[in-house]
Amino acid sequence: MPLSPAPIPLLLMRLLFAAIAFLLACCAPLAQADAPAEIIAKAVLLDDKSEEQIALIRSGEPSPELLALLTLWKEGGIFLVEGPEGTKIPVTLEDAKDADDKQAARLLLTRQPYLGPDGKPIRLLASDLNAAETDSDLRSAMKSILDLAGLASPDRSARLQAVETLGMEQDPLRLPALRARISKETDSEIQHALKEAVALTELKDADPATVTLACRALGELGSIRSQDALRLLAKDGHPAARTAQDALRKIEQHLQTVNIWGTLFRGLSLGSVLLVAALGLAVTFGLMGVINMAHGEMIAVGAYTTYVVQCIFGPGLELSPFGIHIVLPSMKATGWLYDSYFLFAIPLSFLTAARAGVVLERCVIRFLYRRPLESLLATWGVSLVLQQLFRLTFGANNVQVASPNWLSGHWLINDVSLGWNRVFVIGFAAAIVLGVFLLLARTPLGLLMRAVMQNRTMAACMGVRTERVNLLTFGLGSGLAGLAGAFLSQIGNVGPSLGQSYIVDAFMTVVVGGVGSLFGTIFSALGIGMADQALQQILGNPVLGKILVLVGIILFLQWRPAGLFVTRSRSLDN
Amino acid sequence: MKLINKSAQALLALAGMAFTHSAVAADTVKVGVLHSLSGTMAISETSLRDVLLFTFDEINAKGGVMGKKIEPVVVDGASNWPLFAEKAKQLLEKDKTAAVFGCWTSVSRKSVLPVFEKNNGLLFYPVQYEGEEESKNVFYTAEAVNQQATPAVDYMLAKKKEKFYLIGSDYVYPQTTNLVLLEYLLSKGVPLENIGGGFKKDSSGKIISAGKYTPFGHTDYQQIVAEIKQFAAGGKACVINTLNGDTNVPFFKEYAAAGLTAESCPVVSFSISEDEFRALPAKQLVGQLGCWTYFESIKSDANKTFVSNFQKWLKETTVDGVKKEGRVTCSPMVLSYDGVYLWKAAVEKAGSFDVDKVRAALQSGISFDGPGGKVTTQSNMHLTKNVFIGETKADGQFKILKEYKDVFGQPWLKGTFKAK
Repeated sequence: MPLSPAPIPLLLMRLLFAAIAFLLACCAPLAQADAPAEIIAKAVLLDDKSEEQIALIRSGEPSPELLALLTLWKEGGIFLVEGPEGTKIPVTLEDAKDADDKQAARLLLTRQPYLGPDGKPIRLLASDLNAAETDSDLRSAMKSILDLAGLASPDRSARLQAVETLGMEQDPLRLPALRARISKETDSEIQHALKEAVALTELKDADPATVTLACRALGELGSIRSQDALRLLAKDGHPAARTAQDALRKIEQHLQTVNIWGTLFRGLSLGSVLLVAALGLAVTFGLMGVINMAHGEMIAVGAYTTYVVQCIFGPGLELSPFGIHIVLPSMKATGWLYDSYFLFAIPLSFLTAARAGVVLERCVIRFLYRRPLESLLATWGVSLVLQQLFRLTFGANNVQVASPNWLSGHWLINDVSLGWNRVFVIGFAAAIVLGVFLLLARTPLGLLMRAVMQNRTMAACMGVRTERVNLLTFGLGSGLAGLAGAFLSQIGNVGPSLGQSYIVDAFMTVVVGGVGSLFGTIFSALGIGMADQALQQILGNPVLGKILVLVGIILFLQWRPAGLFVTRSRSLDN
Repeated sequence: MKLINKSAQALLALAGMAFTHSAVAADTVKVGVLHSLSGTMAISETSLRDVLLFTFDEINAKGGVMGKKIEPVVVDGASNWPLFAEKAKQLLEKDKTAAVFGCWTSVSRKSVLPVFEKNNGLLFYPVQYEGEEESKNVFYTAEAVNQQATPAVDYMLAKKKEKFYLIGSDYVYPQTTNLVLLEYLLSKGVPLENIGGGFKKDSSGKIISAGKYTPFGHTDYQQIVAEIKQFAAGGKACVINTLNGDTNVPFFKEYAAAGLTAESCPVVSFSISEDEFRALPAKQLVGQLGCWTYFESIKSDANKTFVSNFQKWLKETTVDGVKKEGRVTCSPMVLSYDGVYLWKAAVEKAGSFDVDKVRAALQSGISFDGPGGKVTTQSNMHLTKNVFIGETKADGQFKILKEYKDVFGQPWLKGTFKAK
C-alpha cells in the first residue's frame, strides 16, 4: 500500500536538523575562538586557578587586541569591582584622571563605560581597587605568548627579550619563526641572540649532524646560556659529545674574559663607592686634620634627605619626633616626575649635610682645632647623638628608598653586565672629584682653603679670615658626605646605623691614600675596590677577600706609614 | 638590739615578698616574656612582645587560665645573649613564672637552655630554626626545617627547577639549614654541580658547608649576583635565600639591577615575613617567594578575627612603647599566640601549673585552631601544622600559592636523606 511514509521521515529529518543546528549553536564558541576581550574577562574571573587561566589565554589567537589586554593584565591594569549580588566585574581605567585622580571605569568585555544604577558612568580611584592578580606561572605563560608576538616588536629591547626567552624554551615549533626573523633582523646584538636561540633549539633535533653543527655554532657564539644543555650532551655518549666538549671549552674561555672585564667594572664601581664615601673625609680629616667620627652620620643625613625628598614627591610623610607632629606635603607624583625626585635629592642632600656640618663646626669643632684627641671623642659623641636623633625622628627600622626606574636597569655588553646604578656611581664619583679639584685649584676660595690648611697662623697673619675658611671647608666636607648618602641610599640600606657601616672604610681609604692628599684618596679607593673584587672572584668568598685586603693594608702601612702620597704640612705635623 | 629588730623585719618583708611573688598567687598566674626590647633584634622581637601581651589580655578577658588571670613579667634581653640567660634565671628563680614565652635568635635560645634545664622551666620558642635540638624544657612552636625549607624545595622541584643556588648570612641557622637542604636535594636526584654557592670540605672530603655566606651588614653583592646570573643563564634555576635582616636590601637591589626577575630565576626567602617586609624595597621583591606556616593573607574566619582583634588591641592598649600604626601580623607572631593557647589548654588538661604535668599534657597531643589553621602538639615537643608557599605582592602581603596540610615537625633531619 503506497501509503506515504513521508511524514515520519520528515519529522525525523526536521528533528535531526534541529539537533544539528542546536549542536552547531553550542559548538560555535568552541569551533570559533572567543573574542579576545571575552577570553581575558573569563580568565580574569578564574582567580586562583592559574592552570585554567593559562589554558584559556593560550586558546586565543594572538591578535594585537589580545596581546594588549594581556600586557594590561600583567601590569596590573585590570581591576575587579563588586557587581550586584557579590559578582565581580572586570573593568579597566584608561581614561584621563580628574582632579581627585579618579578615572572613568570601562567594562573589559565591551569597552563601554561602566554605568552605575543611576545610569551615569562610575568613576573610580585606581589605588582603592583590587587589581586582577597574577602569579608567576601565569605571568610566564603570558610572557611566552607575548614573546612570540614580540619577535616582530618595533621595540629593540622587547625583541631581544623575546628572542632570549624563546631560545631557552628549546621548542622546535618556534624554529621557523626564529629563522624567518634572522634574515629580517638588522640589529647585530639581536642577530647574535637569534643565532644562539636557533642553535639552542636545534640541540633538541633528532639528527646528530644538525646537533653537531649547533654545538659548534654555540661554541663560536660563546653562548653562556647553552652551557647546561651542552654539558648534558657532552656526557651523554651522544655522537656530538666531542663537539659539545670543544664548544664548552670555548665558552669557558669566553667566560674568563667576561669575568675579567666584569671584575674590572665591579672593582671600579666599588672603588667609586669608597671614593664617594671617603672624599668628604679627605677634606675634613685629610686637609683640616679633624678626626671627624661623625662623618658617617653626615652620610646618613644625606641619605635621609633623599628619603624625605622621595616621600614629598610620592606619598607624603608624617613624622613625630619628640612628640611634635610634622606632616610633610605630598606631590603625589607618578611616572617620570616621580623618578626625577633623585635629581632634586642630590643638591638638597649636599645642602642639608653641609648645613649640619656648619652647625657642628660652630658648636663643637672650632674649639678643638689644636686638640685632635678631644675632637675624636667629641665627634664620636656627636655621632651617637645624631644616630639617636635619626631613631627618634624616623624610627629604628630602616626606611625604604626606591631607586628611580632610570637607575634600576643594566647594559649588557658582550655578556658583561653593567648596572646603571653602578655606571652612575662611577660617573658621579668622577664628577664630584672634578668639582672638588676645580674648587680647590681654580677658585679664590680654594686658594684660601689651601693656605689655611697649610698654615693656619700664617694665613691669619696675611689677613685671611681663617675662622670663616675653616667653617666653609668643614661645610664642604660634610656636604660631600651628604652627596655620598644620596647615592648610597640607592644601593643599600637607609637606617640610623647607615654611617657606622661606612666610617671605617672611609678612614681606611683616606689613611692608605695619604692624609692630606686628594689624589691619594682617589688612588687608594680604586685600588682597594679592585683588589677586593679581584680577590672575591679568585677566592669565591666575600669575607676572605675583605680580610686579605685589610691584611694587605696593614702591611702596606708598615712599609709606608704616611700612605701612598705623602703630604708635608705644618698643620698635620702638629 | 634595734639593729637585730630591723634585720628581722627586713627578712620578714623579704619572705613576704617571696611568698606573694610565687607563680600562682591567689587569683593570678605569672608567665615570663623574654624578648629583646632594645638593640639590633628589637625591631623583630618587640612585635612578639606585643602579640603576647595581646594574647594574655584576650585570655584574661575570657576568665583566664583555670580561673586565674595571667600576670605577664616582661624582661628585656637587649639583644645580648649572656643577658638572656641572666633574665631567664630571674624569671625562673625569682619570679617563679609558670611558663616563659620568648627568644628569637638561635644563639639566645642556646644561651638560656641550661638555665631552663637546671630549673626545670618551660620555654615556648616561636621562630623558625635549624633543628638538631630537642629539650624537654623547650616547646618549639617554631617551624622546623621540614616545615619551611624542604617544602619550599619541593615546590621548586614541582615547578621544574633543576638548579639551586644557596645563599645565606653566616651563622648557625643558614649553615645548618643549607647542609640539610644539600642532603635533601641530593636525595631528590639533583646532581651536586647543579647546587650553586660553593662547598667547603674537611680534610676527609666531607662537605661541611654548602652555599655562599656573607656577614651581617654586608653591602656589596655585585660579585655574588654576577655569579648567580651566570649560574642561572641556562634557565630552570632558583635561589634559596637565608640572608637575614637588612642585608636583603642590597642583595635584592643588586639582583634587580642585574636584570634577574622572579620569572627568570625566583628567590625563595626564609627570613622575610610580613613584618620584615615593611623595611624592604617592595618594588624589587614583588613576585619573589616566601615559605611560612602562616601568612596574614590567609582567608579563614579564625585569621580574620585574630587580625582584627589584634589591630583593635593595638589601638586601645596603653602599654608603653607599642607602635600603633602600620602593623602587620606574621608567622612568628602567630606561633607565639598559638603557644600561649596551647599552654593554656595543656594546663587545663593537666589540671595543674606544674611544669612536668603540663609537659606531659603537651606531649599527649593537644590541638588548637589558630589563625594559620589547626596546630597539634607532638611528643617530641614540636608542632604539626600547615605550611604555605606565598608570593610577595607590592603591598607587603603574600599571595598564597600552595598549602601543605598537617606537616609533622621533625627536628632531626641531618643524615636522614639518602642520596640517589
